[in-house]
Amino acid sequence: MDFFERQDKARRHTAFLVFYFVVAVVLLIGAVYLAVLLVFGGFQLKNGADETAASWSQASMFLGTTVATLGVIGTGSFFKTLSLARGGRAVAELLDGRLVNPNSTDAQERKLLNVVEEMAIASGVPVPQVYVMDGEPGINAFAAGHSASDAAISVTRGAMTMLTRDELQGVIAHEFSHLLNGDMKLNLRLMGLIFGILCLTVIGRVLIRTRGRKNPLPLLGLALIIIGWVGVLFGRLIQAAVSREREFLADASAVQFTRNPSGLANALKKIGGITEGSQLQSDRAEEASHLFFANGLKSRFFGFATHPPLAERIKALDPSFDGNYPSVVLPDLPATVIPPPMPGVSHLAPPPPPPPPPLALVAAAQPPPLPVVGPPPLPTAPAIIAQQTIVADIGKPRTEHLQYAVDLHQAVPPTIQTAARDPLGAHAMVCAFLLAEDAAAREKQLDELGRATVEAVRDETRRIWPDVQGIPPQARIPLVDLALPALRRLSPSQFEQFRSAVNTLIASDEQTDLFEFMLQKLVMRHLDTRFYPERRPVTQFYDLRPLVRDAGILLSATAYAGADDPAQAQAAFAKGAESLGHIARAEIPWLPPTECDLKHLDAALDRFAQSVPQIKKNVLTACAETVSADNMIQQREAEILRAIADALDCPLPPFLQS
Amino acid sequence: MLLLSCGFIGLVAVLLIVFIIGGYNSLVTLRNRYKNAYSQIDVQLKRRYDLIPNLVESAKGYLAHERGTLEAVIAARNTAVTANTRAAQNPGDSSAMKEISSAESALSGVMGRLFALAESYPDLKANTTMLNLMEELTSTENKVSFARQAYNDSVMAYNTRREVFPTNLIAGPFNFGPAELFVIEKPEQKDAPKVSF
Repeated sequence: MDFFERQDKARRHTAFLVFYFVVAVVLLIGAVYLAVLLVFGGFQLKNGADETAASWSQASMFLGTTVATLGVIGTGSFFKTLSLARGGRAVAELLDGRLVNPNSTDAQERKLLNVVEEMAIASGVPVPQVYVMDGEPGINAFAAGHSASDAAISVTRGAMTMLTRDELQGVIAHEFSHLLNGDMKLNLRLMGLIFGILCLTVIGRVLIRTRGRKNPLPLLGLALIIIGWVGVLFGRLIQAAVSREREFLADASAVQFTRNPSGLANALKKIGGITEGSQLQSDRAEEASHLFFANGLKSRFFGFATHPPLAERIKALDPSFDGNYPSVVLPDLPATVIPPPMPGVSHLAPPPPPPPPPLALVAAAQPPPLPVVGPPPLPTAPAIIAQQTIVADIGKPRTEHLQYAVDLHQAVPPTIQTAARDPLGAHAMVCAFLLAEDAAAREKQLDELGRATVEAVRDETRRIWPDVQGIPPQARIPLVDLALPALRRLSPSQFEQFRSAVNTLIASDEQTDLFEFMLQKLVMRHLDTRFYPERRPVTQFYDLRPLVRDAGILLSATAYAGADDPAQAQAAFAKGAESLGHIARAEIPWLPPTECDLKHLDAALDRFAQSVPQIKKNVLTACAETVSADNMIQQREAEILRAIADALDCPLPPFLQS
Repeated sequence: MLLLSCGFIGLVAVLLIVFIIGGYNSLVTLRNRYKNAYSQIDVQLKRRYDLIPNLVESAKGYLAHERGTLEAVIAARNTAVTANTRAAQNPGDSSAMKEISSAESALSGVMGRLFALAESYPDLKANTTMLNLMEELTSTENKVSFARQAYNDSVMAYNTRREVFPTNLIAGPFNFGPAELFVIEKPEQKDAPKVSF
């Protein structure tokens, strides 16, 4: 099952979910009506109403209950869904998560961030925001969000401190498979719907408090509470059924990804071995229980358990598991370091109680000694990539990709790495990517940059430019992915400045090249979801027919990128267009360069982003065929392919040396 | 009829609850946002506080006659560290923010004096360690000011939401106090000591 089938399956799951939910709501309306009939019927009998009035009032009663119940559930679901529209961070903050600084220097946080960053680069998605639930001693984690651009990964303090790097990697890989399997959107929908039903019980609680003689409302309130809880029970059953199935799948994908079953298995064993297990303290955990890595709530009956039993999951990974959980030896936590007295003028006032350890940084501040052996060479893009693996790799990173991410971490100069994790530095890094090689043109650009933003940005860009210059193009996109968490921390007004700075720099040389276009598209697309949450593409195209011209633009542009000679380009185009035209049952038009420039390409990509996964797959396959028509994938071609895949929300892992 | 009105009451109740929850959550979100924004300043400030002793250590040999300035730098740095520890625990708190603001203003002033002083010592200026440190400090300073801008933006957003109708009805009962900006006064040029050659 490939990425697109899994996405399709997730979409179908959503359809089922809505169906079950409608059934549950109809049943609930019936139950509420029955309760109303009993409560008010009893009152009316006592008052001796005549029969015709009674039958009339029954009709209006039915209408009333239906409207009221639908209204309550509808409003509740609507508002919950609205509040979850902010994506993963809304859920992470709901559960008291603390956003971890991308440039944190705390050893535990650094370990967590590095694992997440490597995983994201290997899968070709922007690095998600990382949260820590400080109040949770147990071992658990979850991923939430609508898409890769607004995803958040949250782990408990227990998971961060008690798991080794390998175990943590297993847990994070599990969460990334949820992210890549399209489970997250499904999960957010589920949270919204269940909350609507939960609202019934809230109304019940309000009604039960009403006072007055012969007042039937408290009785109705009681009935509503009971009905509401029965409804929530329904919801839980749906929630649990969906969740359990996807947990095994995520475990399996995680192992495929890291090729290290023992990491994940040991993490699960540790959960079994500690007293806190995977339980959560937060009382809001219930709403989000199906998101978690392991059961977050106290044990439930099988039908309601959101996760398969721990032992069963471990057995699937490690067949030799005998059911005995090893007792967990906690690793030594780095105790709060009491720094030695400050160097320098010794007779000065004693340093204040908890100053940061200055001595540790003396070494760091010295210029690094000349390296005896040069840094490992940056992973380079291969000349030849087998076409099949391009589409097959989407959403399914392999261990080699993980290794690429680790190598990249080591090969990028430390100044750039620090820059990518700081808001100002990340801002400057993206700007530096857009600077011209020519010194005079560059100074002009820097001048314009200073005017578009603040001087600090200009100075920082100038400072890191020499280091940025040495970074090969194929390493730049992963670095931008790495910089996104820091860029998300810009304030809205700083983001506006950032946007205008990027536009200014791109416009300054009066022509937009492919790399600039792609960079802009990538950065703005992922950041727009953060700063303008309402702009989200809705699936509109279920058929390739209306997109034939857009397909022509895409394939023509790809063909021109790969070949200088028009005849050669057309041959490459024909290779991709053939199969796609067959699927669309229409001719894919071959366009002159003026009709498939970057502006047209941008519009075409926006339209394809609104199509179903199967169409995206067909188009990407056709593009890959065009690109590999001459059995060579050049740098430009690799870039355009990544830009297309990213714009269609298909995480394409970095290209590897074959 | 009773039922319809009952349903109506229910609907109004739901809307009211949704409004209260929504307003409360938006305030919590904005408060978390400025607290998070402070943690970004905190990271850079700590980096800066770590660099300063190194700078003083490297400069000590060259600036033997300027002990007073070096001591003033260390003293201002120590005051700022304490103030930052307090502010980081409770970002936005009025007194803590005023304390860090004035401590940082003082530190910026005295650092400016040190930098001006260094200008007149060619040996010091030629020292690569010193140059690296000064460059690193300037960059960190820029990062602090950038993060400070983001913090102030989010404090403004929070304070505005707190004061406008209808969230101001919620802010009071649920104890959402105003948050304080982080302002650093630019060290004025006239305070810089006269450099004698």
